[in-house]
Amino acid sequence: MTPPRRDPGRDRGLVRPYVVTDGRAYPTRNTFDLVTLVMAHGDRPLGGLSPEKRRLMDLCLGGALSVAEVSGHLMLPVSVVKVLLGDLVDSGHITTRSPIPSAQLPEAQLLQEVLDGLRARL
Amino acid sequence: MTDHIPAAVVWCLAAALVVTLVLLVRQRQITAGVRKRAAALESSLRARDEELHHLATVRLRAVEDSANQPVPPPGLLDQRLTGTPYAHSLQTVLDLFRQAGDKAKARAEQSAKAALKASMRALQGLAHEQQLSISDMQDRHDNPDVLRDLLEIDHANSQFGRRAQAIAVLCGSWPGRQRAASALTDVVRGAKSRIRDYRRVQVHSQADIAVVSRAVEPVVLAVAELLDNAARHSQPNTTVEVGLQPVHNGACVVIDDAGVGMDGQEVQQATALLSGERVPDVSRLGDPPQFGFAVIGVLAARYGFSVSVDTRSPYGGVRAVLFLPSALLTHLDADAPAAAAPPPERPRPSRRVPAPAPAADPLGAPAAPQGPYESPAASQDSYESPAAPQGSYESPARLQGPYETQAPPPGPYASHADRPGAVHGATAGGLPKRRRRQAAPQRQDGPAAGYGQHSPYSEHGRHSEPGQYDESGHQAPVAEPPRERTAEETARRMGAFARGTRSGRSAADATEDEGNPHA
Repeated sequence: MTPPRRDPGRDRGLVRPYVVTDGRAYPTRNTFDLVTLVMAHGDRPLGGLSPEKRRLMDLCLGGALSVAEVSGHLMLPVSVVKVLLGDLVDSGHITTRSPIPSAQLPEAQLLQEVLDGLRARL
Repeated sequence: MTDHIPAAVVWCLAAALVVTLVLLVRQRQITAGVRKRAAALESSLRARDEELHHLATVRLRAVEDSANQPVPPPGLLDQRLTGTPYAHSLQTVLDLFRQAGDKAKARAEQSAKAALKASMRALQGLAHEQQLSISDMQDRHDNPDVLRDLLEIDHANSQFGRRAQAIAVLCGSWPGRQRAASALTDVVRGAKSRIRDYRRVQVHSQADIAVVSRAVEPVVLAVAELLDNAARHSQPNTTVEVGLQPVHNGACVVIDDAGVGMDGQEVQQATALLSGERVPDVSRLGDPPQFGFAVIGVLAARYGFSVSVDTRSPYGGVRAVLFLPSALLTHLDADAPAAAAPPPERPRPSRRVPAPAPAADPLGAPAAPQGPYESPAASQDSYESPAAPQGSYESPARLQGPYETQAPPPGPYASHADRPGAVHGATAGGLPKRRRRQAAPQRQDGPAAGYGQHSPYSEHGRHSEPGQYDESGHQAPVAEPPRERTAEETARRMGAFARGTRSGRSAADATEDEGNPHA
């Protein structure tokens, strides 16, 4: 989905990304992908979180979102969002899950053989 | 007889003697008077010489020096001359000298300011441009190594932009960027973004207060200068604590540092600068120039907030308090953001996306019921294209949405839209103004001119026949000569327009509720 680019409450460029991540560029864990699903735990206290993390939690409490979606909603670069997510995973606020891999389809030859077998039988 | 002659001679001699004596005495008196007079004149001349010397060596120099420190100029050397025309002339010389000096200084100051301002504006523009490219790069690259470098560049660029901005403001320029109303927390963090030691700044308490659009950038700049001072004048291992406090008629940003503090004289100077009563001279900010307080003073006076630094911080350093009156504050509601004070101007080009939710519209409340009209949004470009400052026209253009969705006969509109007039000046409200064509203005500009006057009217007639509507749109400009519109008038029209939309919508909803959902 297209992220809302002009959210009037959030002026892009006012708070720079290095303030958001407190100068860090590397996430604490390297397990995030654009399509990694992020799920928030609602039972964790939100006090003490930075405004971006709080908004991230607000977003994710509504249901699982992919990293790319989170980035779009927060209007932050993906790599910055990964740093935030790393922190939140460490503090137990969220869990992530890799997207469900698509099922491995049997090979066409096998299917052809099954078809042939069925035809021969019927 | 003969003895009469000597007697007569004696008498004559005696008389002559008496006369001579009298004359002598008189002559003596006259001589003495003349001598005295000559002496007086001589002394007076000497006094004037000395006075002139005094003027040249002491008084004029004192005037020359008083440019740096205002001291009462020394008076006349000889009090006898007081009130004489001579003293008067001397005073005139002195005054002329002072005026000439002041004039020359003012001129130098002015040209220095103009030169500084122009160059700083250019730098500011470059910094802004660079920030946009850095932001784009941050979006594009998903690699921590690249991000780390970009963050460093971004940080340096922000500081650079702030410096340029501060000097430009001091030279009489505007802060330069219009932002949407933002939460006070974000304003402080925005200020934090612009100083070197941003990691030492800790923002506590997230108050639910927002700063109105027009004050965001000035407050960011002022807080950034305060934070920079705080961080610069304290040990690198200490933190700078920022607290946000709602108070009775406003809000306060309290900045505490654990630094060296300021002595009485420094506090006095700082208070004088912060009061903003006098625009400080660019040439008298010391070496190296201390811009911080002077810039804050200028901004505070211009935007109506106040800053004080005369308290000691509990940590030993300075406690700076920036007080924002309620007039500069608003509330950011998640449902109706930026309800107060829609940004009058947006320098940044708006990215044209179909607004996903009504909440995302920067114009807020008055334009609320416009969502559904945006679907045929392609047509809005026809009016928007003439506006050179891209984003600034967005909201009016959206409001025009309903107007155009009524499927007006495309002829005149299309032809008008194909030849948009260039932007020419600005209205009283700050919006760009289209130039009217001189030749056949009524025919060409008819729909555009008629639009404003008839928008409420046309909105009420939305269920009427298009042809009828069209007719009214064409008659209007003939009746109404083109004239300047005030911001108030424009706002009134827009408001009427929005009201009409709302009432029309609710009427439509009501008919639908009655189970008569006609298309």
